[in-house]
Amino acid sequence: MSVSAAREPQRAGKAAGWASDRSITMGLSVLAAIPILLFLLLPLTGILLRGFETPSGFGIGNFTETFGAERFWRLVLNSISMSLTATLAAVGLAYFYAYALQRAAIPFKPFLRIAVLTPLFAPSLVQAQGLILLLGRNGVLNRFLGFDIDIYGFWGTAIANALYAFPYAYLILSAALAVADARIYESAETLGAGPARIFRDVTLPATRFGLAAAIFVVFTLVMTDFGNPMVIGGDFSVLATEVYNQVIGQAQFGLGAVIGIVLLVPAILAKLIEKRISSRQHALVTAQSKPLETKPSRGRDLAFSLYAYTVVSLILSVLVIVVVASFVRLWPYNMSFTLKHYEFDVQNGTAPLWNSVGVSLATAILGVAITGLTAIVVQKFKNPLTGPLSLLAILPAAVPGMVLGLGYVLTFNDPANPLNVLYGSFTLIVILSVYYNHAHAFLISSTSLKQIGPVFDEASTTLGGSTLTTLRKVTLPLLWPTLLGVGVFYFMRTMVSLSAVIFLVTPSTQLAAVSVLQLSDRGAVNQAAAFSVCIMAIVIGCLLIVRTILWLAGAKNVTLIR
Amino acid sequence: MDLSIHDLVKRFGKLTALDHVSLEVAQGSFVCFLGPSGCGKTTLLRVIAGLEEADGGSIRLGESDLSSIPARNRNFGVVFQSYSLFPNMTAARNVGYGLECRRWDKPRMQNRIKEMLDLVHLADQAEKLPSQMSGGQQQRIALARALAPDPSALLLDEPLSALDAKVREELRIEIRAVQKRLGITTIMVTHDQEEALAMADLIVVMSKGRIEQIGTPQQLYREPATAFVADFIGRMNVLPLDPGAAGSYRFAGTPLAVATLANGTANAATAAALGIRPEAVALRERGASGENILAVDVRSVSFLGNITRVELAPENRPETAIVAELHGTATVPETGTRLAVSLPADALRVLS
Repeated sequence: MSVSAAREPQRAGKAAGWASDRSITMGLSVLAAIPILLFLLLPLTGILLRGFETPSGFGIGNFTETFGAERFWRLVLNSISMSLTATLAAVGLAYFYAYALQRAAIPFKPFLRIAVLTPLFAPSLVQAQGLILLLGRNGVLNRFLGFDIDIYGFWGTAIANALYAFPYAYLILSAALAVADARIYESAETLGAGPARIFRDVTLPATRFGLAAAIFVVFTLVMTDFGNPMVIGGDFSVLATEVYNQVIGQAQFGLGAVIGIVLLVPAILAKLIEKRISSRQHALVTAQSKPLETKPSRGRDLAFSLYAYTVVSLILSVLVIVVVASFVRLWPYNMSFTLKHYEFDVQNGTAPLWNSVGVSLATAILGVAITGLTAIVVQKFKNPLTGPLSLLAILPAAVPGMVLGLGYVLTFNDPANPLNVLYGSFTLIVILSVYYNHAHAFLISSTSLKQIGPVFDEASTTLGGSTLTTLRKVTLPLLWPTLLGVGVFYFMRTMVSLSAVIFLVTPSTQLAAVSVLQLSDRGAVNQAAAFSVCIMAIVIGCLLIVRTILWLAGAKNVTLIR
Repeated sequence: MDLSIHDLVKRFGKLTALDHVSLEVAQGSFVCFLGPSGCGKTTLLRVIAGLEEADGGSIRLGESDLSSIPARNRNFGVVFQSYSLFPNMTAARNVGYGLECRRWDKPRMQNRIKEMLDLVHLADQAEKLPSQMSGGQQQRIALARALAPDPSALLLDEPLSALDAKVREELRIEIRAVQKRLGITTIMVTHDQEEALAMADLIVVMSKGRIEQIGTPQQLYREPATAFVADFIGRMNVLPLDPGAAGSYRFAGTPLAVATLANGTANAATAAALGIRPEAVALRERGASGENILAVDVRSVSFLGNITRVELAPENRPETAIVAELHGTATVPETGTRLAVSLPADALRVLS
C-alpha cells in the first residue's frame, strides 16, 4: 500500500482553480449568448422596428394602412377559418390514430408508426402537389373516374395543411396517450364504467393537456405555412402568402413586416397558453403506477384497424402519387414510364439539390455545436447570463419561419449593418436554419442533459476534474447519441424547409424545396415531383445511415424523427 | 491531520440546513453522521466535500483552511449513494479517472489501478462497464475510485442504502476493513442506526440542522442525552416528568430513584424526562413492594419470536405507554391483566 506524503489539499493553483473555472464558464456563456443576440433577437427587433417605419418617419402608418384595407380583413378571415378547419381535422384524426396505436391491438404497428410520419420527410408543399395530382383539373379522379371536383381554394388548402400537420399532432398525442396508469382504468372498470364512459371520464381528461398542446402547435403551423396555399390556393389567399406577395412581388417591406407582426401574435399567444396549460399539469403517472396493457377486443380492434389503415392510405396516397408522377412522361396525358425527369435539365440542374444537402449538413453541424453549447451553459452553469439565455433559446418556438426569414432580410440587407456581408450567402441561410429550429433542438439537448444528472459532475469534481475535463471526458461522451439525433433533426427540417428560407434564396443560392415551388408554379409538374422525391430519398437515406451508426454503437432509445 | 469544523451555517432559502454546527474528526477515525431525512447530515457532508458552499463558519484540515479551496482541489474521496460510476468508462478507467485528472504517468497509473481493484477484490472485473456489474460491485468500484488518488479523507454519502440487505452487510464489513487497513479518516452519512452502530468509532446524531449528541456507539446507547437520541438509537420508553417537581424525578405521581452516572449527565435542573430501554423494564405482581414500582394494566401483547413485546398503561398516566420486552420463554401476561412494573434505578436515564 503506497501511503504517499501528498495527503494534503493541493495548495498550488487553488486560487487559479476557482478563477479559471469561473472565467471558463463565463466565457462559454458569453460565447453562447452573442450569436443568439445577433441572429435571433436582432432580426426580431428589426421586423418590429420596420413595421413602424414609414416614408414620413416613425409611426403607425403601416398599421393603419394595412388595417384599413378591406382585403386585409378578408385575408385574416381566410387564414383563421382555413387554419381552424385544418387544425380540427388534423388533431381529430391524429387523436384516434394515436389511440388506435397505443390502446388497441392492430397488425403491423411499426409500419403504421413510420408511415404516418413520412410527410415530415418532404417539403411542406408536397401535400398540395399530391392533392392536385389526385383531385386537380388533370387529377386521377376528374380525368379518369369522371368526377368534377374543384380542389383549388379553401378546401384544397385546408386538406393539404391538415395532411401536412398530421404527423406533428400525432407525435404529441401519441406521447400523451403512451402513459397511463392501469390502476385507474381497473378501478373504473370494477366500479361498473363501460368503455365509452371510461374514455370520457378517464382517457380524455388524462390527455387534455396533450390535446391542447397539439391544437396550438398545429394551428400555428398551419396559419404560418406558406407552401401549400401557394400551390393549391388558387384565388384563395391567406396572410402567409400575402407576406410573400408584398415582399417578393411588390417590395413592400414595411407592409410585409406589419403582416409578419400580425402572424407573430397568434404564434406567441398559442405558445404562452400552451405553456400555462402544461405548467398546471401535475404528474399523472407516479413511480407506483402500473402500465396499462391492452386487452384484446375483437370489435374494437377491427374498427380501429380499419380506421388506422384508412388514415394511413390517405396520407400515403398523396405522397405515392407524387412518386408515380415523377416517373411518367407527361402527367396525365402520357403515362408511360420514364426517368427523364430525373435528368434535371431545367434551371440550375441538380445544383439546388446539392445546395440543400450542403446547407442542411452545415446547419446540422453548426446547430449541434450551438444548441449543445447553449444547453450545457443553461443546464450546467449558473451565472447571470443563464436565465435570459434559456428564455432566448426557446423563443424561436413562437416565431413562424416566414417571420424570422423576413426579419433576416430586413436586418441583413441593410448596408449599414456590418453583418451585411453575409447577405445573399449560404452562410446566412445556414444561420437562419439553425435559429429557426433552435427551440426544439435546445429542448432535446437539455432534456438529455437533465437525465444525465448532476451526480457525474460531482463525482468528477471530487476526483479532481475541472469543468472542461468533465465536459470532455464525461458529459460529451454521454451526450453524443442525443447530439447526433439533434443533428438529424436539423438536417431533416432544413432539407424540407420552405417558408423560412424563401426570402433569402437568390438565383445563386437556390435550394431544393424552393425549386419545387418554382417548378410547380411554372406547371412543370413532373419535374417538381421528381425534385420532391429526391428530397424525400435523401432524408430517408440520412435517417437510415444514422440509425445504422447508432445501432452499431449500441445506442438505443434515441428518437430520430421529431 | 484532524478535520475541524467550526460554527458551520448553511441555508437553502428559508430553510436552515445547518445551524451552527461544530465538530472535530480525529485523524484515522470512522465517523457516522446519523439522523432522519432532512436533518442536515448530507448537507454537512457536501459542505465538507466542497460541493456546497457554507454561508458561515470554517472547515480546517490540520492547519489549512479549506473554505476557499474548490471541491476538485480538496483531495477528498467521495462515494455517492448510487450510480455515480461514469457509464461510458470501464471499471478500470473509472478507478483511474482521478489519476488522469492529476496527470499521473501511465505505468504508475496502471499499477495504482490494479492495486485498488485488488483492494476491493474486483481485479477480474477491470474491463467491465458499470451496466454489466451488480449494484454491490459498482459501489466497490466507486470506493476504489475514491481511494485511488490517495485522498486525505473518505466521504461516504449513504453508500449502502441503494443495495439489498445481504450485499449491504457484506459491503459494510468490507468498507470498515479497508478503512482500518488504510487508516484513512472516514465520514459516512446514514439514516440507518444499525449501520452506524456496527461501523462507526464515533456517531454524530443530527436533528433539524443541529448536532444532538456525539459519542461512541456504546455511549449513545447507554447514555443518550436527549429524548431524540434515546428514541433514534434503539427503542426507549420516554417518561415525561410531572411538572413542578423540581429537584426530584416524579412520574405519574411516583417519585423515582435514579442512579447517578459517572459522566454526570443526570442534571436535575435541565431534566425533562426519564428514559428506560424496554429490555430493562421488569414485570411484577400487582401490589409488589420495592423501589420504583408502578401499577400498570396490560394493554396489548405482541409475540415476535425471540422476544415478546408487552405494552403497558400506567394506572395514573394511561396515555404514556411503557413497553417491556420479555426474552425467551418468559411467562407472557394476558391483555387486561393488572400488574406492576419495576424500573431499576441504574437503568433509568435522565433526558433533557
